[in-house]
Amino acid sequence: MTIDVQQPDRTGKLSSRRPMLRPNPFTTVWIMAAALFVISPLLAPGSLSGSALASMLPFAAILMIAALGQSLVIAHGGIDLSVPGAVALAAVFVTKVPEMLGVSLPVAALLGLLVGAGAGVLIGFVVVHVRIAAFVATLAMNSILIGVVFAVSKGFPGSANPDFSSFSVGSVLGIPNLLLVALALTLLVQWMRRRTVVGRRFMAVGASVDAARLVGIRTRLYQVGAYAAAGVLYSLAGMLLAGYLRTPDILLGNSYQLSSIAAVVLGGSLLAGGISNALATAVAALFLTQLNQVVLAAGAPTSMQLLVQAVVLALAVSLHRIPVTALLGLRKRPHRR
Amino acid sequence: MVERTPLLVMKGVTKRFPGVLALNSVDFDVRPGEIHALVGGNGAGKSTLMSVASGALVPDSGSIQIDGQKITEVSPVAARELGLSIAFQHPALLPDLTVTENLMLSVPTRKRPPFSKATEWARKRLEPMGMPIRPEARVETLTLAEKQAVEICGALACDPQVVIFDEPTEPFMAAETEQLFTQIRRLAATGVGIVYISHRLPDVLALADRITVLRDGQIRGTYNAAEVTEQEIITRVAGREVDAMFPDRAQALGEPVLHVRGLRAPGLKGVDVDVRRNEILGLAGVEGNGQREFIRALGGAIAGSGHVQVDGKPADLRTPRAARASGIVLMPQERHVEGLAPIHSVGENLSIAATAQSANKGVIRLSQEHELVRRTIAEMGIKTPSADTAVKTLSGGNQQKVVLGRALLSEPTVLLCDEPTQGIDVGVRSDIYHRLRGHANAGVPVVVLSSDNVELAGLCDRVLVFSRGTVVAELVGDEVTDHAITAASLTEAGSNRDASAPRSDKRRVGRLTRLLTSEQGPSAFLLLAIAALTLVGIGQSDRFLSSFNISSMLGLIAPLIFLAAGQLFVMLTGGIDLSVGPLCGALVVVASFYLRDGVGLTWWLIGIALMVALALAVGLLNGALVRFAAVTPVVATLVTYTGLQGLSLLMRDTPGGTIAAPIMSFLTAKIGPVPWVILAGVAMLLLLERASRRTLAGLRLRGTGSDHEAAHRRGVPVGAVYLSAYIASALCTLLGAFLLMAQIGVGDPTAGTSYTLASITAIVLGGASVFGGRGSFFGALLGVVLLQVTQTTAVFAELSQAWQYWLPGLMALAATGVFAQAQRRAASKAVVSNPE
Repeated sequence: MTIDVQQPDRTGKLSSRRPMLRPNPFTTVWIMAAALFVISPLLAPGSLSGSALASMLPFAAILMIAALGQSLVIAHGGIDLSVPGAVALAAVFVTKVPEMLGVSLPVAALLGLLVGAGAGVLIGFVVVHVRIAAFVATLAMNSILIGVVFAVSKGFPGSANPDFSSFSVGSVLGIPNLLLVALALTLLVQWMRRRTVVGRRFMAVGASVDAARLVGIRTRLYQVGAYAAAGVLYSLAGMLLAGYLRTPDILLGNSYQLSSIAAVVLGGSLLAGGISNALATAVAALFLTQLNQVVLAAGAPTSMQLLVQAVVLALAVSLHRIPVTALLGLRKRPHRR
Repeated sequence: MVERTPLLVMKGVTKRFPGVLALNSVDFDVRPGEIHALVGGNGAGKSTLMSVASGALVPDSGSIQIDGQKITEVSPVAARELGLSIAFQHPALLPDLTVTENLMLSVPTRKRPPFSKATEWARKRLEPMGMPIRPEARVETLTLAEKQAVEICGALACDPQVVIFDEPTEPFMAAETEQLFTQIRRLAATGVGIVYISHRLPDVLALADRITVLRDGQIRGTYNAAEVTEQEIITRVAGREVDAMFPDRAQALGEPVLHVRGLRAPGLKGVDVDVRRNEILGLAGVEGNGQREFIRALGGAIAGSGHVQVDGKPADLRTPRAARASGIVLMPQERHVEGLAPIHSVGENLSIAATAQSANKGVIRLSQEHELVRRTIAEMGIKTPSADTAVKTLSGGNQQKVVLGRALLSEPTVLLCDEPTQGIDVGVRSDIYHRLRGHANAGVPVVVLSSDNVELAGLCDRVLVFSRGTVVAELVGDEVTDHAITAASLTEAGSNRDASAPRSDKRRVGRLTRLLTSEQGPSAFLLLAIAALTLVGIGQSDRFLSSFNISSMLGLIAPLIFLAAGQLFVMLTGGIDLSVGPLCGALVVVASFYLRDGVGLTWWLIGIALMVALALAVGLLNGALVRFAAVTPVVATLVTYTGLQGLSLLMRDTPGGTIAAPIMSFLTAKIGPVPWVILAGVAMLLLLERASRRTLAGLRLRGTGSDHEAAHRRGVPVGAVYLSAYIASALCTLLGAFLLMAQIGVGDPTAGTSYTLASITAIVLGGASVFGGRGSFFGALLGVVLLQVTQTTAVFAELSQAWQYWLPGLMALAATGVFAQAQRRAASKAVVSNPE
């Protein structure tokens, strides 16, 4: 799928000139986020006020969770376009399912996570074993999941369980609950990647499937597992978003198709897989959400968000060819394909 | 032979690769009408020399003249224009194109016949090969020998002054080899200069006028074939000093550790061997004779069968994981692919193999891990700035030490090394030899596969020589010499060609698989499916075939016909264009502002100009992101996909703006019962179908997607092809936008989005491969029809709204799944027959 426009001479030069330290691709986004927060009040007065932050952070948290899922898939060089469907379906489990099946909220939520995992396993099986290209499989699965949403909801949105909503909009010591959940998950994933055998093997599969196989790793298990774990995270994001919005739109997940990918790329992860950082992805999610906030506060319509995200992603994936940060006197980004 | 001005003159050619001096001041020439053989062992530099001659490689120094003209521009096309062609050992053919199409792309423009005469021309060109190859056959369906024949035909079709044959007879049977020799002699008789590269000395002696021996990148002598014996040549091919860089051999061998009986794999026909404690066993042979299959099957890297024991316990070799559990650890040949994760650090690459020692209940103890990594780096003498340095930035030798360190951290009982010193310099090599000997002495028997016979002679206690999938010689102790190994490999390889060659490459693919993977096969299935669904529809309601229903179906498919065509342009190159749907919608929204009633014609023209500009801009942006910024197509077009959705919503957040009545009635005008735009769309797809097979642009488009490297070698401007495919896609989408406009009549910001998946589904149903190179515009048309008939049937069956989402999704999965499996089945047969 990828088109190999290799530039061996360039990478060769790069590596021979700077063999000393591996440039850290994950720091750029911290600088970008910090800069954005500094200039936010200048662009849109009030965009850094307490109320503005309180309304922005929960959405940042949702994007963090969704992007965390996406980052697992991208860590293996895949791509997941099924986020809207997974998020929309999960929302149904905290709005319609408890009533429909007559089960308690925790049971319905657990079912929602299981269904998310199941959809992920299905995608993983189709991608890894049947060898359908990831974007076709996930695009098709997205359509199927949205179909399920329509079948279950009959096309009418429902209201989220009130207890669940009060948790989703709640906060501890002024920190939104959703942000706490997102941070906990981010740190968990970060710790697993660094400190556990499972995490190390997961990243080894992403860096090179063939090498991982020869070193004795069950590569297919990890590859399917990536989609399954991502599915769980999308489900969680969907439920929390539905809880926060109380009466969610039936297609509430649409904007996450691109933004989840944008957050991962902006966070410095390699689209080819193998290099990724949960914390940087979360910071990128924060950056994107705040950027939207600023755009909206500056008076632009909601649809502007999509354009802004597209532009940011386009810049993130193409600017590595131009050493912008080096020109600005910042750290040089690594060569990326 | 009369002395005449040589056709090809190479003077002082030197080429250095990292760590290796591949060619050292080589002089080589070919005279008109002569057959000049170039012989030498594996890695002697033969293929490198000829790559330089044919313009595929730039030499570090030296000059090349073809037919008196000095080569200035180094490119395969330039050398071809000057009259030099080369038939590569591994054919650089485009697998999804037909034999005729491959030959058409092989020859320079001025030698290319018109497409109307192409098949006849190809048939004539194939005739002298004496093989029943159909010019219409897709190259992928050919056997290895047939592919080689097509490669040779492609080289000869240029009517060259000089032809280079690189190991041309490897896949050939005796009769086919004879036929080729006859052809080569006939060619030489007409004054063409021939370079013939081969391992097979009997062939060389039978065919050549002169023989040049190359060893370690240097010429070791040029002889008249009539005045030299096979033995003399072998001495020159071998003849390298076994110097002090090697450790002493084992003093005494211990008990057998590895016990192998009847190990078989594709290309390997049953090998028995015991490897004893303290022993280093070498595997030798001309490349592709089963030695690599042996070591890889033993390491669990490829599927094999047979009985293997380690330390008396049966070993499971189904996967590398299982082999490791049995104590067998393989150090693979290609360190960038299988040996290491190049983008990960030295530390990560080492520690991944040491988790058994560094982790407690699945959690890694960092201090322990750092210590293990530090110790391994020190013990192996890996020169790296730090453990956090990415492996890809190290030199080849240090990378190889990481691979070795990684293997040793796994604490093997038996160590398998596939080319342990390939591409690394002398100092590190000696170091690796001593380490391997050290481990053998410490009780870990080592099996070494190497294409360097001197290395085997210096390092090994015993060497097995492979030919045609079996062990043909076993050399022990003092018999293990460079000369003995070379002699056994070369002569055995030549002598038992005839009867029992491992011809596993006859394709036995099921008829269904063949039909599904053929170019128009899927169309037949689609027609059947369309007919069946129509019957179902009629069964549900007799209104199904009413003119109202038919014309409403036609109206619905109209935009998709064009979007599918656009999508196919991109998919043929191996890319994807997610932006077609939103672009179509955005164009209609633009139109809804300008193509209104009550404004002048100028206003309409401005609107149309803006639509064209937007489409071109999106096409260019997609193409530029893919071509120049090297963004993967999915991400590049996802950017425009999202951006265009935003743009549409920005222009109109709710549907509005009625399209002018005259424009609507123009677009919905009918010829008989059918809207004329549908007829135009069908005509366009049929024309595109023909163009994709009967024009050079079509061949280049499909060739690029089939194998972009081979296409580049054939002189296809790959980058330009990518760029134009995305632009073509956007322009087709522009046409589709007019039809969407006719269908909905207003500017709806969300109307187009669902067309993206539909366009992909339609063309995949029509047999397009998402990996590029294959697809049919005719199939795309039928795919569009099938999608619509399915949707309409669902409506007639009163299926719920959900089915609008389920049907495209399920059909996309089913179509890609079925074709992916069919193509894999077809491809796996080819892989089996291809030696490495």
